[in-house]
Amino acid sequence: MIHWKIGTAALLSAALVSGCAAFLAATPLFAQETVKLELWSRQDPSGPLRPGNVIKAAERLNKELEAEGSPKRVEVAVRESPAKGFDDDALQLLKVFGVGEGPDMFIAAHEWICAFQEDGFALKLDDYIAKYPQHFGTIFPSLWSSAKCPDGTYAIPQDAEARMFFYNKKLLREAGYDAAFVDAMPERALSGDLTLDEVLEIAKQVVDKTKAQYGVLHRPNKGPDYIMVFQAYGSDFVDPATGKLLLERDKLAAAFGWFERGVKEGVIPANNTAMEFDALRKEFYTGNAAFFMYGIWDLGSVAFPTYGLPQEEKAFFADWGWIAGPAPQKGGSPVSLTHPIVYVIAADTKEPELAARLLGHASAADLNTDHAVTTTHIGIKPEQLEDPRYAKAWPLARATELLKITKFLPNNSQFGDLNGIIYAGIQGIESGRLSAEQAADFVIEEASSSLEDVIVK
Amino acid sequence: MTTIADQLTIERRGHAGSAARRRTNFVIFLGPAILLTVFFFVVPVIIDITVSFTDLSRSLRISEFTTEQYEKVFRTDRRLSQVIGLTFIYVFGTLAIFNVTFGLILAITTTAIRNVSGSFFRGVWLLPRMSPSVLYILLWLWAVSPTEAGLVNQVFMQAFGLDAPLDLLTSAPIALIIISNGFIGASMGMIIFTAAIRGIPEHLFHAAAVDGAGTFATIRFITLPALRWPISFVTIYQTLSLLVSFEYILLLTKGGPFYDTTVYALYVYRRAFESGQYGYGAALALFLIVIGVIVALLGWRFFDMERLLQRPRIEVH
Repeated sequence: MIHWKIGTAALLSAALVSGCAAFLAATPLFAQETVKLELWSRQDPSGPLRPGNVIKAAERLNKELEAEGSPKRVEVAVRESPAKGFDDDALQLLKVFGVGEGPDMFIAAHEWICAFQEDGFALKLDDYIAKYPQHFGTIFPSLWSSAKCPDGTYAIPQDAEARMFFYNKKLLREAGYDAAFVDAMPERALSGDLTLDEVLEIAKQVVDKTKAQYGVLHRPNKGPDYIMVFQAYGSDFVDPATGKLLLERDKLAAAFGWFERGVKEGVIPANNTAMEFDALRKEFYTGNAAFFMYGIWDLGSVAFPTYGLPQEEKAFFADWGWIAGPAPQKGGSPVSLTHPIVYVIAADTKEPELAARLLGHASAADLNTDHAVTTTHIGIKPEQLEDPRYAKAWPLARATELLKITKFLPNNSQFGDLNGIIYAGIQGIESGRLSAEQAADFVIEEASSSLEDVIVK
Repeated sequence: MTTIADQLTIERRGHAGSAARRRTNFVIFLGPAILLTVFFFVVPVIIDITVSFTDLSRSLRISEFTTEQYEKVFRTDRRLSQVIGLTFIYVFGTLAIFNVTFGLILAITTTAIRNVSGSFFRGVWLLPRMSPSVLYILLWLWAVSPTEAGLVNQVFMQAFGLDAPLDLLTSAPIALIIISNGFIGASMGMIIFTAAIRGIPEHLFHAAAVDGAGTFATIRFITLPALRWPISFVTIYQTLSLLVSFEYILLLTKGGPFYDTTVYALYVYRRAFESGQYGYGAALALFLIVIGVIVALLGWRFFDMERLLQRPRIEVH
């Protein structure tokens, strides 16, 4: 009887001890902590994988955390904004931060990051970039300059692209230009032999001699493409010595003069800025315009799927092509613009380290290539060039040629506002309300009265 | 038998009771209106004045209280004079052509014809007001599209042999915003004037007919005098309404081309919400409030609205 009691007690004790041991062993599992990181992203059909890759990155980071024995697990919640463009989105997000409802991370156009940095909403990333070379070490050095504000790096480049003048070769041939001339235009533009005024002349021939109605089209809202013309005429908008906005009247007037001549020649439509974006694209891709100032990503996002432009390289270049933004005069410098989109971490996020690691995984070459090849954006790392999928996406390889001469929009917190004023100036010229000289004065007056620290020369 | 003292007590109670009832009635009948006025007019005006003396900008932060916004209004904003001039043309044009004159013509003509036909035409003219604003403007955008597919261009090119399509959004934007707003505004005048015409005693028209008055004489001597107060009301109400409304303009022309159709209220919106200059927008909006109050008071005085709201001298039972 006593033996039985002792046996039972021993068994019970053993069960109790093993139970405790099992509980202790399982404790990390029970103490697992889910960290929810919120990502603000614009609803943008031209880049669904910008937030999508962050969600995928969470799986990779969680595996890494598990292997490290960390109790933390990351969950990404995407907060989508319906803003029409990155400018509207940035203005909306600044308000969201202003009322203390900001996300942990956000996706923005690079020229806006210093507006967030200036108001203390963006986290300085230099230490994290140095700490995680496996994630950030091979990103193209040139792209980092688009992520910098005066006192450091505040963003991680997510992609790049190239802005150019697309042209319809078929229309040019119909207008009387021989195939050799038409095919040589990209090379001539890159060497500085083809000028902006020659583009207007060619466009005029197309309008006069073919059924095409338009010579040159540009975006009908505020954005980066038309800034190429201003850069070609020498306006970089920022004083390199002080980082302040710089407006040079003569250079502005010269660039506005190109738009003025375009309208007077009947090449740029007077109502370009009143047209709907989709209608405008349709005019070009259906053969009713000779040139269209826009970006490489539009091929993958719109031109191929919507308007059926040939997706095979040779077939595409038979009737279509692109040139860099031509120089203002023979022998001058051509221009191209790249407009990187970036990831930014909020200054007040509770988990900056995890957010940085998460965005590091989202910047992995394979994930970024998924984004690049599906939306025709240029990658951020040299190792992507070795990916067969990337090599197969010929628009990327061909557009990369333009990166040699590419420029960025200035990372000045007020550039978004200045760009709105420049766009209003273009609208004033095209609709016949302003001359080029008046448009330059208008930009200077408006910028001086509504923006701070503008240097005028 | 009650004494005089008792009677006085009852009377006092009666007075006290009626005073309490008056207070209750005041709270019941005027309370909601006062609350609405306080919350939707007084409080926003106070907030607007406060914001206008700050540097509130795109991140909704205030770092200092300043008079800088008013200095901008008076010293550096060169667009303002053009915007104010355009606003005057827009308000006066829409009011004079459509909201009053065309509304009056619609009311007189639709009450002069058979009742069924009159109701039908009034219904048709009410459609723009009943349509959602975005849908209404989408139809306008299609109608004035600068391509051959636009309705206006289809008519002009096919019926009148026009060579190239018209681009009314660029060549006649001010006319377009006046017409598109006027088509909506006319219906309100039409309804009020129709009700007023229906209220004119029928025998006056018969008497005029017997006296040999023609159509125009009847309108001149019977209809129009009876419409004095409705015309005054519609003029004041629609002036204020046109001064502050800009949604149709924003949807149709976005205030362009350039600043051609940026009326004052839209200018305030563009400054505050498109450029993120909330402090400056608030300062500009304050002038709009002041202008609105002045216009209302001038209208009140000019049209002698006080007489309209006087108690009738003859009580009708």
